[in-house]
Amino acid sequence: MTQKFNVIGSRAPRLDAPDKATGRACYVDDIEFPHLLEGAILQSPHAHARILSIDTSAAEALPGVAAVITHRDVPDVRYGVSPARYDETIFAIDKVRYVGDEVAAVAAEDLDTAMAALELIKVEYEVLPHVLTVDEALAEGAPVIHDAFPGNICAEVHQEFGDVAAGFAESDIIRTDVFVNKRQDGAFIEPHRCVAVYDNFGQLTLTSSTQVPHYVQRTVAMVTGIDVGKVRVKKPYVGGGFGPKAEATPCDIISAFLAIKTGRPVRVAYSREQVFLHCRARHQFKHVMKTGFKKDGTIMALDHQCWLEGGAYSSFGIATVYYAGSLLAAPYKLPNMKYDGWRVYTNKPACGAQRGHGGVAARACFEQQLDLIAKQLDMDPIELRLKNIMTAGDVSCNDLAMSSLGMKECIEAVRDGSTWRDKRGRLPKGKGIGMASGFFVSGAGYPIYRSETYHCTVTIKVQEDGGTVKVLTGAAEIGQGSDTAMAMIAAEAIGIPLDRVRLVSGDTDYGVDLGAYSSRTTLMTGHATKEAGEAVKDRVLTALAEELGIERDRLDMANGLVEISGDPVDFSELRTKYIKEHRGWSDHPAGDQITFTEAARIAYLKYGTVVGTGKYKPPVLGGKFKGAAVGTSPAYGCSAQVAEVTVDLETGQVTVDSITDAHDCGKAVNLTSVEAQMEGSVSMGLGEAMFEEVKFDDQGRVLNASLGEYHIPTVLDMPQMSCIVVESGEPNGPFGAKEVGEGAIMPTIPAILNAVHDATGVTITELPITPERVLKALKEKEQEKD
Amino acid sequence: MLLPRFEYHQPASLDEAVEVLGQYAGEAAVLAGGTDLLVNMKHQAMAPSHLVSLAGVEGLDQASADGGRVTVGPLMSAAVLAQSEFIAANAGALALGAAVLGSPQVRTRATVGGNVCNARPAADMSVPLLALGARAVLTGPDGQRQVDLEEFFVGPGQTVRAPGELLSALEMDAPAPGTGWGYQKLGLRKALEISLVNVAAALSLEDDGKTIKAARVALGAVAPTPILAPGAAEVLVGQAAGGDVFKAAGQKAAADAKPIDDHRGSAWYRREMVAVLTARALNQAWARAQGQ
Ligand SMILES: Cc1cc2nc3c(=O)[nH]c(=O)nc-3n(C[C@H](O)[C@H](O)[C@H](O)COP(=O)(O)OP(=O)(O)OC[C@H]3O[C@@H](n4cnc5c(N)ncnc54)[C@H](O)[C@@H]3O)c2cc1C
Repeated sequence: MTQKFNVIGSRAPRLDAPDKATGRACYVDDIEFPHLLEGAILQSPHAHARILSIDTSAAEALPGVAAVITHRDVPDVRYGVSPARYDETIFAIDKVRYVGDEVAAVAAEDLDTAMAALELIKVEYEVLPHVLTVDEALAEGAPVIHDAFPGNICAEVHQEFGDVAAGFAESDIIRTDVFVNKRQDGAFIEPHRCVAVYDNFGQLTLTSSTQVPHYVQRTVAMVTGIDVGKVRVKKPYVGGGFGPKAEATPCDIISAFLAIKTGRPVRVAYSREQVFLHCRARHQFKHVMKTGFKKDGTIMALDHQCWLEGGAYSSFGIATVYYAGSLLAAPYKLPNMKYDGWRVYTNKPACGAQRGHGGVAARACFEQQLDLIAKQLDMDPIELRLKNIMTAGDVSCNDLAMSSLGMKECIEAVRDGSTWRDKRGRLPKGKGIGMASGFFVSGAGYPIYRSETYHCTVTIKVQEDGGTVKVLTGAAEIGQGSDTAMAMIAAEAIGIPLDRVRLVSGDTDYGVDLGAYSSRTTLMTGHATKEAGEAVKDRVLTALAEELGIERDRLDMANGLVEISGDPVDFSELRTKYIKEHRGWSDHPAGDQITFTEAARIAYLKYGTVVGTGKYKPPVLGGKFKGAAVGTSPAYGCSAQVAEVTVDLETGQVTVDSITDAHDCGKAVNLTSVEAQMEGSVSMGLGEAMFEEVKFDDQGRVLNASLGEYHIPTVLDMPQMSCIVVESGEPNGPFGAKEVGEGAIMPTIPAILNAVHDATGVTITELPITPERVLKALKEKEQEKD
Repeated sequence: MLLPRFEYHQPASLDEAVEVLGQYAGEAAVLAGGTDLLVNMKHQAMAPSHLVSLAGVEGLDQASADGGRVTVGPLMSAAVLAQSEFIAANAGALALGAAVLGSPQVRTRATVGGNVCNARPAADMSVPLLALGARAVLTGPDGQRQVDLEEFFVGPGQTVRAPGELLSALEMDAPAPGTGWGYQKLGLRKALEISLVNVAAALSLEDDGKTIKAARVALGAVAPTPILAPGAAEVLVGQAAGGDVFKAAGQKAAADAKPIDDHRGSAWYRREMVAVLTARALNQAWARAQGQ
């Protein structure tokens, strides 16, 4: 059954577009706070050092300085992302663990003074030996970064599903491949920043550039000891996040303490360099995958090992190391899977979650290996994939349930859309075509802290004297388009046009919402919004049915007009009453249907303010094994891409000419937004594939902490794109919708790698695909031939 | 990352500029487009207490030809140079380099004088100017002097310009008939890129349209300054232009290069690329020399 939609599935312009296009959108720095103080953070210059003493007296004496704080001025509490690994302190206490670790902070009348004060803080360090790589950190006798974790292993995972040994025994071909990516930066446009205000009611209000007002609220309440009900976190427009803004940052926490201490608003804002120092972006992963296949291409078993270079703190790392394994269990039928993962502490900025959390490098490794196997079997890589594909109803070996899965449709769409059959194996040397698939959760099945909390609550209030509704949600619009999507879902659920919906979001006062991460908002907040909208509609139509003296189930609403089934109903009295109430107004309802405005007015007159509420929390999901929660989701998105490349055989330079991209998002709430996510994902994936790498010197200092030296794609580097939206209709999603935010990045890197292989015959196993790396591989291949 | 404090001067003539500069010599910096200077100041790499802007000095943003000599004003922006027909005809390598510098926004600010005085080894206008045989005209309290660009660059960020001197013009000989230019830039991405290697070539043909009369090849990012590849020029002159001799010149240029390993690329790769890009730049120059 296909449902008919009036708002969902359209290309409605984004609600925020006019503000952003005209420069009226307000970000944290655009908001004025009277008597604002500027905060600044003193960060460690050493990768690993003991703090012998801190002398802040000269800084405190500097005119214009309002407060100087160190660990001595704040509670000795541990915080972090996963309660199982709270390993961060507000300021370094006994030692610093990476270049950038927070040591002290200043609030002053202006930033110049604050920076000058930082220089006056005297810290005596005893430099300790440091470790910068996984190998160094795991070496015998390596310096220990956290006493509680001797051996520097932050988290490890050991899982086996099915019988891997038996799977290999039945395999005809077994291949082992190794793959390494590089530490990435989020490279969002707006660096983290927060303004904290501590008012005379003892309420702390943070205005923060964050993806997760809810978690910031909880963390700040926890570390300050202020009642969580008195901590409010507001998120104005945010200039991107991509994961590194999915946790409370030192900007949030330190601005809070400085505001409490000074009684004045305090801003703490990162420079671009500090974004690199804070990091919390993509880890460096090293994957070793041993995979067994039957001669006919059937995948039999995967034995997978992975090492994550984690940096000095855990951040999201426990989830990351689980995701790196669990997300490989689909979208191919993989009966037997063993996974051993280690996240390792190093003296570098902490890595965390970034678009495609944990799964991107793993996916690249596996999809590249599939192509190599296909070559060995003399099979078309697309045929090999189709042979193993899962479909709706399948459950993976680690208990991930595919309630919908348009994987086959995606693969066929990119195959046909790219005219694969005419090109694969037929292009001239230096030109290549490659494909890969992707797979991702549509919202994490569980919150980050163990809780039975709803993942989101939404309130929709019908304005008392008009035909508009106001949606209140804590959901975080960070540029991805969630405000527009939620307004569209509300409009559809109530049965009114989109311009009748007003929406406020991103404020912990509006309700619970876990935030913008794990591609959860459309499905989860969408559910809550739909439920709230349906409640509003029911309340309004119930009132109307009473008024008209007919049964409720004869009434429905669409496009802002009431539909009455059965015999016509005379509503002239009702209309006259409305018009009398609005004498002198020029927009009286007309036509032969009752309008939403009239019906909403009747509901108000009968019941007072009409409010509908909605909530969502996924059902209990997944298996019973340790770590089963990571990877579970009420639904899974999937995607496929075909990349076409040109390789300059003399310089090794790779140009990605085009990408044909198909994504199954269940049902596109807003087609334009879905395509924008697909294009944005390709841009980000292309950057990781081709350019991006945070580099360090041997003292653990970032060498390229600027967007001049850290290369993300420019518009000129973007390939020609064609986006194909596949809609499988997700039974667990609102109106059939599921994710597109992160899954869409999964195929990009391996599709490019596979196309480079097609163009040159060389296999690149380390990112980024720099011209030098490609040329080296080409030369090595030539030598092998001789 | 705030700009340090400074005093701003905007002299109305070259003489006045020299005077102000002399007055604060050592503490003053010349401000042209500011795309290097202000970035460096924000990074605390330098903190001049006086900035002497050239914005009010007339005539520094013009190019002209006179008696076999081509003059390029130091205040000409990359955007203007890239689009100027005069430059394309008289100093084509400079137009090619200017066209691929930074991004459209940067090109509207970045001046050729700033590019040369900033003296980065990979600078997109300096390397072409070296291939063009340009001379720096320096004006100071003691009058004017001319320095060949080969001698002008001393090291990364270092030149022979004295603190009290201004770069008042760039000069070069007018191109002989049958001259063409090539420029090749290799970086990771297609814009906003400091070259891993860049190569500029100038090639003049004899009247027969085949034999190479003169050639200059300049290399970027393979030494502490932009450098010439004399070995490449040597194998070219007197030979018939064509793929093989260009390849040979590329090999010679690779031998002339003195690259190092750094986090952006290895010496090995840079040397390889000098050979490839030199041959390509020469091919490009040859096509233009033949009027294509
Ligand atoms: C985002 C970005 C991208 C860039 N990309 C490139 C690129 O691709 N290729 C490239 O080559 N460069 C690039 N640059 C560097 C810069 O834009 C160029 O070197 C530019 O040509 C500098 O010119 P300017 O007018 O801005 O110089 P300024 O910054 O004004 O000056 C540079 C230096 O020269 C001195 N100076 C300037 N004019 C004179 C004069 N007439 N006499 C004496 N001294 C003088 C100044 O005192 C200063 O020390 C980039 C810069 C940025 C910010």
